[in-house]
Amino acid sequence: MLFTWLMLVGFIFLFAPQKLANNFQSTFARIFHWPLSMGRSISLSVRAKQLPIDVVPRSKYNQLQNHLANVQEWLNQTREKVEKLSGLRDRPIWEGAKLMIADVAPVSGSSTELILNKGEDDGLREGQFVLGEESIIGTVSVVSSRTARVKLITDSTSKIPVTIEKFDVIRVMQGDGKNSAKIELLPSRKYNVKVGDEVLVCKIPGFLNSAMITARVAECRRDDENPSVWDITVKPVCNIERLDEVVVIIIDGEK
Amino acid sequence: MRWFRFSIFVVAVTLIQAGLVDIISLINVRPDLLLILLVFFAIYCNTTEAIISSFAIGFAADIIGSAMGPQMISFGLFGTLLAYLHRFIAIREMPYQSLAIAVTGLLGGGLAFLLTYLKSQPTPPNIFTVLLGTSLYSAIIGPFLFLPSAWLMRIKTHHFVGS
Repeated sequence: MLFTWLMLVGFIFLFAPQKLANNFQSTFARIFHWPLSMGRSISLSVRAKQLPIDVVPRSKYNQLQNHLANVQEWLNQTREKVEKLSGLRDRPIWEGAKLMIADVAPVSGSSTELILNKGEDDGLREGQFVLGEESIIGTVSVVSSRTARVKLITDSTSKIPVTIEKFDVIRVMQGDGKNSAKIELLPSRKYNVKVGDEVLVCKIPGFLNSAMITARVAECRRDDENPSVWDITVKPVCNIERLDEVVVIIIDGEK
Repeated sequence: MRWFRFSIFVVAVTLIQAGLVDIISLINVRPDLLLILLVFFAIYCNTTEAIISSFAIGFAADIIGSAMGPQMISFGLFGTLLAYLHRFIAIREMPYQSLAIAVTGLLGGGLAFLLTYLKSQPTPPNIFTVLLGTSLYSAIIGPFLFLPSAWLMRIKTHHFVGS
């Protein structure tokens, strides 16, 4: 019986509002303020004497602080990359594809190529498409074990099958070596191409699972030599010069 | 049981637990003096006194804890169980006393953490480490504190021996 009553008191305390419970605790702390504070100061002084064992030299401390700052920054960058990749991965077109983020370095003396800090060891192969700002900006052209070179769509040797929005016809887009590319041999009578039309890279099994935007029509006029076809100039939709990282599409099953 | 003496003793131990026990903490593990006291009274008092003292010590533990109620219930429950167990098994040897402290600490602490969690009050992130460390540390030093406690409370600890 005694046990039951005391247990009941315990449950009343348990289910009592926290404010009431805090009153008990603060009353105790107020009444016994002096012995409690004295006890704590004794504990602190004893602990303070023990502290020097754990102290490291200032230079080591600074080194560790710098290391911590570097690790924090690295963590933040990695977190951003993960968020970016998880955003891309939510789309079903990336099923079966691996997306590899790589940092970009410009190639000196060339505005139509980029160097990536990822290579064969990371799964990169020649011909893989490279995304910048979620648009195709080029393909991997040369791969070493730790780096890779990207040939941009504006490179004069770049030839990629594309289609212009709303037209079900495939043509080759070739870079002009400057900051744009050309699409030729499109009959002017049949296709009413306008400035601003989107240019999409065609689906290529093993390299690209779905058509993706790469450029927009910047200029469209009849060819001087053959007026029956368009002379179309397109500009990349991505500001490649400002890119500091890109995503390489690695389709599963590639060796 | 001298209840006035008991009250002073429990308040003193509560104050030591709240303010001074950090001095003897090892790797951030502190012994629970109130747990040791709980087992002491459960072993050396009669059942009624053990039940009252268990709840009273639990109340004292709640006063210096994070929430009111959890320790009172768990200390009361396991102190009572230990007192009833002591009717059948005399816990007089130091190793058994250590074992009683360790088991009571683990079970009582586990229940108290559970009740604290249910009350949505903060619990330490490494509950199992804290629970295990506290119970073991208390079990090691507990039996050595029984003798001074018995002297302070004027309780005879050897009234079974030789009788």
